[in-house]
Amino acid sequence: MTNEFKTYHPIVNFLYFAFMIGFSCVFMHPVSLAISLIGAFSYSVVLKGRKSIKSNILYMLPTVVLMALLNPLFNHQGVTILTYLPSGNPLTAESIIYGTSAAVMVISVICWFSCSNEIMTSDKTVYLFGRVTPSLSLILSMTFRFVPRFIKQTKAVADAQRGIGNDVSGGKLINRIKTAVKILSIMITWSLENAVETADSMKSRGYGTKRRTAFSIYRFGRRDISALVAMLALGTYIVMGAVYGGMYFSYFPLITHNGISVYSISVFSAYAIFAFLPVIIEVWEVMRWKAIKSKI
Amino acid sequence: MESYKIENLSFTYPNSEKKALCDISLAVERGEFICLCGKSGCGKTTLLRLLKTTLSPFGKADGKVYFNGMELGAVPDIEQASKIGFVMQDVENQIVTDKVWHELAFGLESLGVPTNEIRTRVSEMAEFFGITDWFYKKVSDLSGGEKQLLNLASVMVMNPDVLILDEPTSQLDPISASEFLRTVEKINRELATTVILSEHRLEEAFVMADRVVVMDNGEIIADDTPKNVGKILKKNNHDMVSALPTPLRVADVLTVREGRIWLEEFSKTNTVDEGRIFRVRETNSCKPCIEAKDVWFRYEKNKPDVIKGLSLKINKGEIYAILGGNGTGKTTALSLIGGINRPYGGKVKVSGKVGMLPQNPQLLFTEKTVLDDLRQMKADDGVLSQMIEVCELKNVLNQHPYDLSGGEAQRAALAKVLLTQPEILLLDEPTKGLDAHFKDKLADVLRELTKNGVTVVMVSHDVEFCAKYSDHCSMFFDGSITATATPRELFKNNTFYTTSANRMAKTVIPDAILAEDIILACGGGE
Repeated sequence: MTNEFKTYHPIVNFLYFAFMIGFSCVFMHPVSLAISLIGAFSYSVVLKGRKSIKSNILYMLPTVVLMALLNPLFNHQGVTILTYLPSGNPLTAESIIYGTSAAVMVISVICWFSCSNEIMTSDKTVYLFGRVTPSLSLILSMTFRFVPRFIKQTKAVADAQRGIGNDVSGGKLINRIKTAVKILSIMITWSLENAVETADSMKSRGYGTKRRTAFSIYRFGRRDISALVAMLALGTYIVMGAVYGGMYFSYFPLITHNGISVYSISVFSAYAIFAFLPVIIEVWEVMRWKAIKSKI
Repeated sequence: MESYKIENLSFTYPNSEKKALCDISLAVERGEFICLCGKSGCGKTTLLRLLKTTLSPFGKADGKVYFNGMELGAVPDIEQASKIGFVMQDVENQIVTDKVWHELAFGLESLGVPTNEIRTRVSEMAEFFGITDWFYKKVSDLSGGEKQLLNLASVMVMNPDVLILDEPTSQLDPISASEFLRTVEKINRELATTVILSEHRLEEAFVMADRVVVMDNGEIIADDTPKNVGKILKKNNHDMVSALPTPLRVADVLTVREGRIWLEEFSKTNTVDEGRIFRVRETNSCKPCIEAKDVWFRYEKNKPDVIKGLSLKINKGEIYAILGGNGTGKTTALSLIGGINRPYGGKVKVSGKVGMLPQNPQLLFTEKTVLDDLRQMKADDGVLSQMIEVCELKNVLNQHPYDLSGGEAQRAALAKVLLTQPEILLLDEPTKGLDAHFKDKLADVLRELTKNGVTVVMVSHDVEFCAKYSDHCSMFFDGSITATATPRELFKNNTFYTTSANRMAKTVIPDAILAEDIILACGGGE
């Protein structure tokens, strides 16, 4: 799979997902919802390949059906009464539609998050925190090193203990608990013991002698600037559009909206371009690559 | 000019009567390569740590240490951090961050170097070490040898004047260890960095070093060129002789090549009597207690086979060694014998209770003192005190198991395993990190056990140890055994994978596999 957007600067990646997930949560207009869902879905296919179509549908469909059915059971707002429930409460068309819309919103946000997990690696998180304060990024980086090591060592100790007859996975419950407590206590000793040496290694390499700088492997290039400018321009237009009612849609008590106008189409288009930005970048890079290749 | 000048340095740890260092005087010239050796606990680490203020242990120090002509205490921390590079023994604990690039940059970040300069220096260093491919890797994806090279690179990136290494290869396998030492040599030769290296793998270090310093009981007992140090130790018949490289033990030369030339010359004018080598060791019985037939194993369904058609037969009461390189499946084979993993094809028949000593003995300890740890095994007092006797643990009973030295921890863990009264003892790299002296002690314990009918199976990289002490050796390659024989038969027929004594004596005394053999054949002492 190509993954061009991933090579962009972490700040671009982060801002994109922050905006996109934010927009997806706020804009409840069915057209916006559809744009966000299709954008997230197609990007996840671009990122993770065809097999993700199946896995996406597997969690998306049940969520939508469940929420569309459950919402009217608890939400009785709306004026279009279809029938009365056994409890005597009304079943309204608005609540069914709202349930479906909310479900679409939830699944597209989940889908965006899964995409962002692919892009925002631990490196990038560490870097972004490093922008705030260098020591925070060091703490994060050390945690990312420590936790897997701790788990590995715990497993190794448990295995070795099993070899001399102290089994955590079988035998009498009381013995298992005793062994588990022992392993945990020695693991604390182990952590402290190792921390002393790590501290030595840090001091030996000048930790604490001067104000730290935060080195990073990322460079803010021209394409990052272009992406950022595009995002800001589109984002501003979308937010303005939302403020001036271009995406107005109300579910209760009666479904009301502003209709489709040239203005609202322009806002939706901006939103669509925004939602498809990573996909556009991927496609564009592939095209450019092909063009360069054909020249050779 | 001297890099370091140490004058009458003595050091005593708190709560200790004995001096850890006693009146040490030593001068290290700029660009010199010094090898510091001595038995575990002789004060090497203490001395090395006193050469950098932030690492100096607490205690009472007398005497003076000068760094580049300035008293060490007066050299500011920030200068010491960059000018004195220190690589420690433990491979894992030295690594601070999770990514290779971050680790390389750590020192420079601490010194407040601007990002652009860090980029240049890190890339320069990665190129020098040939580790550019790893740059984006996670530290946890590197092998042990690679991790130690990373530690070295992250120190070198600060461009130190002096590089101090405290037993850096003790946790590495032989191949990674010699790669590591070659890199240190390259740094010394090409960057003119002063190197002070403490080692117990002397075979390679002696060839590289300009000078060897031998310590014993906190004192310097020899300080001379490698060849002369060999002469001095042999003249005094010191314990350390058994740790010397084979060519140096037999003659006064350093390499196998020189040793062979010497031996060929020697045999022209003197009689070499192969008959003096004690040929066959007697084994207790020929009753097989472990049998494996055409065993196949893989860890996961979609992964390749690790064990491919392994067959072996191990007799009761013998020491059986499985030798082979990294990643050939030796440890996996051991886990199959131990019943931790089950083969998907073939059969493993084991008659007797199995005890297993893991590669890292620390994994077995869970209590606050060694004694508590042993008591936990619920043995009678009689058995317990006997075990303490056999494993020589009397002096360490009240210590925390994590405070023991490599050899002591190994023996304490062994005692713990033995208290389960196994009839078959499985050992994974038992000599890793042990010096020559502790290896001999371990061998004594193992010998004692086989006398009582315990079968010992070990997997190891340590050719010399297996040659010296095992009854049968197997060569392991690509998931199965390629050859099995007594060590003498096996190594006699090998050209590369054999002891250095054998390589040296091949043309004159093909049967010799140990330095002792050559000495005997040449008419030396019993």
